[in-house]
Amino acid sequence: MTTQDVIEKIGLKPLSKFEHREISGVFVSDMLSDVMAGAKSGNLWVTVQTHKSVVPAANLVDVSAVIVTSGKSVPQETVDLATKHNIAILATDLPSFELIGKLYGLGLVSS
Amino acid sequence: MSGCQHQWEMTNIQFGFIAFEKCSYCNGVRTYFSVEDTPALGDEYREGDHFWSRVESAQSFRFDLRCKKCGHLEKFYDLMGLLHCTSCMHDCKVEALRQEYEAAKTWILVGFGHLPTATATPIPPYKLDVLSEYFNQRRDTARSRIKILPFNLIEDFSLCKGEFIHDRGMLSLEPPESRKPLL
Repeated sequence: MTTQDVIEKIGLKPLSKFEHREISGVFVSDMLSDVMAGAKSGNLWVTVQTHKSVVPAANLVDVSAVIVTSGKSVPQETVDLATKHNIAILATDLPSFELIGKLYGLGLVSS
Repeated sequence: MSGCQHQWEMTNIQFGFIAFEKCSYCNGVRTYFSVEDTPALGDEYREGDHFWSRVESAQSFRFDLRCKKCGHLEKFYDLMGLLHCTSCMHDCKVEALRQEYEAAKTWILVGFGHLPTATATPIPPYKLDVLSEYFNQRRDTARSRIKILPFNLIEDFSLCKGEFIHDRGMLSLEPPESRKPLL
């Protein structure tokens, strides 16, 4: 399954410009340290964090996309930095619990 | 020197806090890793000629890297954090290298050791290369790569507005505001 598939099936809103890629699993955390220690390349990272530091953290572990949930507003500087690094920032109004349920329903699991 | 082409994995992971303290007498800054958010001696205390007070506390973790093939262990107890360059100083060597590496789709971060020790004894370049190798082994390097640079390349550390990849303010009831410079 690719990022394009997930966007279409769940109705996520792409905020940054990026290349679609294969998804390896899902990682859920609102802590950068947690992501750096545990997320894997190709993971979808589900978070409510919107500070631009999510971009270098996402880049460091090479996630396929960052999904910002709960309708959190993502600052333009975060979006711009993500575009520069070819990192997908996707937004949804769904709470994290519901989004994760939908991702699980698509057959995605933590890796 | 081992002939092993190391395949690194993270091990001995310990979550905790990076404490940033400042001395009100000499204005010195120091950092250290602690498993506790609250300093054992309180927010302000005297140690010899220093009067330390806690300036900031960031949730972080420390780790070692172990080779899955030969078992060689590389300790990273001296790593305080990774800093993302924000291009705040155009004549900084880190900024110059950032532009050069980005043209080759290599994204740079700066590896900081704990202060003040790291000022005199920075993290050896070979260890930063090992850390870069660890992150590059976990990604498709045809798309992009990671390079971790030593912090002594920063032109003027006191003016640097780079941002650490730390969790700051996570334990606060207030929503996080824009991050303050380190010093």
